[in-house]
Amino acid sequence: VYCLFQALRQISQRTISTASRRLVNRVSENQKLFQEDNGLPVHLKGGAKDSLLYRTTAGLTLFGTMYAVYYLLVSSMPKKPN
Amino acid sequence: MALQAHSYHMVDPSPWPILGAAAALLTTSGLTMWFHYNSPRLLILGLISTALVMFQWWRDIVRESTFQGHHTPTVQKGLRYGMALFITSEAFFFLGFFWAFFHSSLAPTPELGGQWPPVGIKPLNPMEVPLLNTTILLASGITVTWAHHSITEANRKQAIQALLLTVLLGLYFTALQAMEYYEAPFSIADGVYGSTFFVATGFHGLHVIIGTMFLLVCLLRLIKYHFTSSHHFGFEAAAWYWHFVDVVWLFLYISIYWWGS
Repeated sequence: VYCLFQALRQISQRTISTASRRLVNRVSENQKLFQEDNGLPVHLKGGAKDSLLYRTTAGLTLFGTMYAVYYLLVSSMPKKPN
Repeated sequence: MALQAHSYHMVDPSPWPILGAAAALLTTSGLTMWFHYNSPRLLILGLISTALVMFQWWRDIVRESTFQGHHTPTVQKGLRYGMALFITSEAFFFLGFFWAFFHSSLAPTPELGGQWPPVGIKPLNPMEVPLLNTTILLASGITVTWAHHSITEANRKQAIQALLLTVLLGLYFTALQAMEYYEAPFSIADGVYGSTFFVATGFHGLHVIIGTMFLLVCLLRLIKYHFTSSHHFGFEAAAWYWHFVDVVWLFLYISIYWWGS
């Protein structure tokens, strides 16, 4: 079992060091992007993906709110007996 | 670009607070639709919109802090107060469930057979999986502290290892607890024993999952070089939350699992 544990340790250490070698520090690039003087609010400042995600979220939430209010009205009305 | 003569953060207008409130409306009314009309559609919509809002709101906070530099020491102080107050409110939340447990267990009614555990209930052995879970959480408290020290000492490799180990321990706890839930000889419907057991440990388990996700996000940010050795409050907040989760478990273990068996 100890050999297995050592093997796992070696693999995870190599994986972590490989992954961190592939990962370059992009913080300064992002700092430049998000400090650009373009008047965009932070939730849209990342580009087109931001707008897509925002519109999807707002759309789902708005639709859901209307759906919820509709069912609230339906369930608060008395059922008509036949 | 306007300059400010103060050290506070005047945030950009954001849609997330109101969309978050709407998502909460969908989730709660969705629960009602599911309970009373057997339709999970609204609940699913609520959970998805809640997740989307959470992702984007916290993404924006990372942008405002790490990329725009708005988290001055003054702002950080406010965030510390905020996190401390939030954790305190969670402590009171759990206090209520502990109150319920002691209310029923200190003076067991005749309907329970005048004893605790009640007649017919076979409690879980506290020396088996629950004890393992205790050691797992205690170990994870050590590894998260190791991670913190590694961050302050700018030891990137060890910080990643320690935080990864913490996340793995959290996942291990959750997996074991899920298995315990499945295998338990009693259910939530088994009187007040079942109710107090599953509601208290269930909310705790939910907090373990939340804490694990918070730590995972910190791990990803750590890998992406977001933290510096002197400024890493997101990680500290996650660590505080994790220690809180650990302490709640210790109380649960001692009172419900051990004393209550």
